[in-house]
Amino acid sequence: MSPEHPDARRARFEALVREELMEPLRRFLVRRTDRAMADDVLAETLLVCWRRFDEMPAQPVPWAYGVARNCLANAQRSVRRQERVAARLAVVDPPRETGDPVGSRDDALHEALERLREDDAELLRLWAWEQLTPGEIATVLDVTPNAVSIRLHRARAKLREELGKVEARAGHEESEGGIRG
Amino acid sequence: MTDHEPGDELFARLRDADPAASLPAADPDRVARLLEDAMSHDTQHDTVTESRGNGTHGRSPLTWLVAAAAVVLIAAAGIFTFTNSGDDPTTPPTAGGDPSVADPSVADPSVADPAVTELTMPGATAGRCMIPNAELLSGAAYAVDAEAVSVADGVVTLEASEWFAGDPTDEVEVDQSSADMQALIGATSFEEGQRYLVAGTGTGQVMVCGFSGPYTAELAALYSQAFGS
Repeated sequence: MSPEHPDARRARFEALVREELMEPLRRFLVRRTDRAMADDVLAETLLVCWRRFDEMPAQPVPWAYGVARNCLANAQRSVRRQERVAARLAVVDPPRETGDPVGSRDDALHEALERLREDDAELLRLWAWEQLTPGEIATVLDVTPNAVSIRLHRARAKLREELGKVEARAGHEESEGGIRG
Repeated sequence: MTDHEPGDELFARLRDADPAASLPAADPDRVARLLEDAMSHDTQHDTVTESRGNGTHGRSPLTWLVAAAAVVLIAAAGIFTFTNSGDDPTTPPTAGGDPSVADPSVADPSVADPAVTELTMPGATAGRCMIPNAELLSGAAYAVDAEAVSVADGVVTLEASEWFAGDPTDEVEVDQSSADMQALIGATSFEEGQRYLVAGTGTGQVMVCGFSGPYTAELAALYSQAFGS
């Protein structure tokens, strides 16, 4: 491939980000962390995408999710490190890693999701929120599509099970409250 | 296709709980700033911070392992070895740079049949995928920037807005009925109303493996490079 003019390369990247990557990446991050960290990690993700622009496959979105996922993990590791330092100086409430939900709130579902193993929860998020195919999820997670299909099937079953438990308990508490009231 | 049955309650419930459902679109100024910040880092001698390096460099070999696995899968679609089993014997694809143009004179003259370039999807054969590059692409017998105007019975009809290579015809038809590999080569699964860049070989086969696909700035750049438009 003959060398591309830097301006053409920049224009190509800019168009790709604006048309294909920006909104999916913003949503991906907002679903997984608070707004402030989502903003920081978005900037970091774009920087890595730019640096690795030549490696970007023809279907860039799942690949870019993979980049964002790693950047987010780094940022969260760094926050936890800082928190450990802070904890030695003062006892503080650690901030929750996810928060600021802007969608409608289905508490039972969110609680059930939190009760799952992180791997399972992430599979379900990629499946339902990013709406990726098993093949695309495989690209994000660096595993085989076959493994994704199997694990996704199990994760769905586990979520149904946890949801059942959460709702049964909520129903129980509600009825007890009713008796007391 | 997402791996769920229509009406899957769990899927619907998860969708409804999407925290980004009501996220407003990004502020254009902020997008511009983010892009400027990202691209202000010189890719040639960027000093990589430790945390950044850990996250992305650590991932790289695995990413390419997956890419390699994908290549093996896609290889089954074979772009360099071809089977003609799916071809209609009445319209054999011709060799060389001449696309198989259906002769309008054969058709009922009262029905002004458009001239059509017919392509088929490669069958499942062993083969190797090359990383898409302009040099290989420039060898395509035909290449078009086209919109899929209809998809019926496995035949996609495209209307080309630009011919990079090959003699222009009114329409381009891609027979993807034999292409059971579509799930793997998502780039060449056609949908009505979508814009595509499609390249074909002299034997009437669509070049897959990233040479043809939905219109993206990146693919368009590759086509511009290959055909110097």
